[in-house]
Amino acid sequence: MLAIPAIVLLVLSVWEVFAAHHDATSVPGDEAWEAAAKVVHTGYRPGDLIVFAPAWNDPVGRMHLGDLIAIHDAARMDAARYGRIWELAIRGAHAPDVTGEPVFAEEIDGIAVRRYERAPAIVTADLRERLATAKVEGTRARGPVVELQEVGFAPHECILVATGAGPVKLTFPLVPLGSELVGYAGIADVFTRRDNRLPGRIQVAVHDVLVADRALGVDDGWVRFAATTAALPDEVTVTLSSDAPGRQICFAIEARR
Amino acid sequence: MRNRLIGFALALATIVLVTAESGELGIARDEMIYVSSGAHYADWWGHLITSGFSTSRADITHAWGGPQLTDNNREHPPLMKTLFGISQRLFHDKVKLFSDELGAARFPSAVMAGLLVLLVFTFTVEVWGLAAGVIAALLAIFMPRALFHAGLACFDAPMTTLWFAVIYAYWRGLPKKLPWQVGVVFGLALATKHNAILLPFALVPHLAFLIWRDRGGWRRLLALASIALIGPLVLVALWPWLWFDTVTHVTQWIGFHLTHVHYNYEYLGQNWNAPRFPWHVALVTTLFTVPAATLGAAGFGVVAWIKERATNPDRARAPALLVFLSAGVSIGPFLLGSTPIFGAEKHWAPAIPSICIAAGVGCVWVARGLATAIGDRVKHAPRIALGVVATAVVAAAVSETIAAEPYALTWYSTLAGGDAGAADLGMNRQFWGVAARGVLPELAKLAAGKPAPVYSHDASPAWGMYQRLGMLPKTMPDSGSEQGGIDNSQFAIVIHERHFNRHDYMIWVTYRTLQPVYVLRANGVPIVSVYRRR
Repeated sequence: MLAIPAIVLLVLSVWEVFAAHHDATSVPGDEAWEAAAKVVHTGYRPGDLIVFAPAWNDPVGRMHLGDLIAIHDAARMDAARYGRIWELAIRGAHAPDVTGEPVFAEEIDGIAVRRYERAPAIVTADLRERLATAKVEGTRARGPVVELQEVGFAPHECILVATGAGPVKLTFPLVPLGSELVGYAGIADVFTRRDNRLPGRIQVAVHDVLVADRALGVDDGWVRFAATTAALPDEVTVTLSSDAPGRQICFAIEARR
Repeated sequence: MRNRLIGFALALATIVLVTAESGELGIARDEMIYVSSGAHYADWWGHLITSGFSTSRADITHAWGGPQLTDNNREHPPLMKTLFGISQRLFHDKVKLFSDELGAARFPSAVMAGLLVLLVFTFTVEVWGLAAGVIAALLAIFMPRALFHAGLACFDAPMTTLWFAVIYAYWRGLPKKLPWQVGVVFGLALATKHNAILLPFALVPHLAFLIWRDRGGWRRLLALASIALIGPLVLVALWPWLWFDTVTHVTQWIGFHLTHVHYNYEYLGQNWNAPRFPWHVALVTTLFTVPAATLGAAGFGVVAWIKERATNPDRARAPALLVFLSAGVSIGPFLLGSTPIFGAEKHWAPAIPSICIAAGVGCVWVARGLATAIGDRVKHAPRIALGVVATAVVAAAVSETIAAEPYALTWYSTLAGGDAGAADLGMNRQFWGVAARGVLPELAKLAAGKPAPVYSHDASPAWGMYQRLGMLPKTMPDSGSEQGGIDNSQFAIVIHERHFNRHDYMIWVTYRTLQPVYVLRANGVPIVSVYRRR
């Protein structure tokens, strides 16, 4: 019994000596990444999406495969419109963009290279592409403008509006709707989120009927909303508001078949 | 005499180690401010002593203050900055002990680290014996994050030293008639960093316990009188900014920290920049930033203290309680959920001596148990048991320290799974822009001698110093801040912290690529990306 504490401490110490060395060398290096990148380059097709997991390793992934990733894809609204997704993962991680079984999987020196295939969402309208047609009402500090913004610490190409005294209303005429309207919104800019903690709000109406109403908290990130729609051209109205003047609300909405 | 020699040898070894280590470290953003303010302060004292420099309000304000709360860095007390400045003037400008001004400025921190080791050793030896003292001192040296901070011209490592110096001076002064030393050391601690004002919260309960337990001994309250009277006098004497409008300036100094902006800090996968913070930040962060074996040994040390409390030869001064209160008070404010958490373990670093002392005691205690279990079967069993246990625990601390340097702010212990495990858990990656130094050779290579302004991101305050130190060609100046800086740049770096992701995105849009040409990693975890304009 008297020796038990010493044995525990010795085991802990010896484990730490070896584990500290192992931890420091357990992440795949550039040689492994070059080999993995070669596999992706060989099988890549235009329109494919490439994602990395865990997210903290994204810079290394982009260094080796950034030539195949358009900024537009990295700053996507979501991954639904991609039929083929390559996932390069280490440490047993998975990207949130992929589900199900991969059609291709190979382990290369600690990097799991997987390809997923599925039926992509068919986008009938992307409000970001139709911003020029929108009627904008209400005072605002800035926007609307399509920009790459940080929302929830991730890149998103979205329609940015910095709110003014009252609500800002964007009306998109004759949007060719499909069966579903899918959108995301959030508050851009970490420092204004820190300095003013008041939420924002997004309301989406189709032909004056409210189909989505979401509060956007400063820590909520990129918030999803969706509504069922009739597959007809119709008017979509997006109303943004916040009690925090200058609140930078950024959103993206797609109509999908 | 032998013990004293061992203590000084350990302290000297620490100073050499920290000085060598600091030469490998990048420059912390705040360090530039402290070094530059320190040079002003040192010059002011130099003029005062050599030529009777004016002590008028205007002259003091010019060197030490100003209308804004951060003018001449008056939001921080001056002791270490002054020492950084004196060291620069003496050991770089005059004696040339250091080839560069930064190395000279950092030297006082290294000396303070050595002093801490000496104090930990001396205190532990006096109460718990030589073996515990040596082990505690070694574990204080091989504390990865603390070793990193000791290499910078900043306040956190010196504050740990002076915090513990106050504890030690108080303990030494308990039987004395006039314990003036604790007041002087408390004044030095106040003149180092504002968290010294927490110290009475450790000392008063300790004294109250002694008086309650002994039903008397009121004379020991003189230690508090010393702190209350001599401490502030020392602070004021060292800080000319307090020589006039003292109450206003003290109020502004403390007020600045009570209303300090909350910097962004990642913890368990979330970015925190506003209270309420999780109550467990300090506990989990300490768990992940102190070597596991050291923590384990400290746990056994606490067990030993509890089991052997009646037989402690220094029971009259309750040293274990004092050590416990010291750690508790330094960490306590961070359990409230409202205290800024952005500095992580450096803000409660004064708990480190307590952990190391407990670990030293714990090693000796478990070794004694092992020796008893072995009995007479092995010759010299007590010595062998102690040697084996101490070597194992110290070796674990050394291996973590080797893994941690030079990017120790990214390092987490093997309890977290190392740097990569901590990244998986969403622990803070780094701060202060220190890691930028690691990409300077790559930047110089990429530019190949051509003029190429660099968007230096969080390393901007250090860029000029890097160039002065010859780590980067003069043809690669800092291009400016935010979007304007990116627009003017040929290269851009991003020092990875979660809230800095937006810098990547600005660069992607401007450079029309999201592909870095180089990614610096610490034990596999990305810490700096380098982009080149297409």
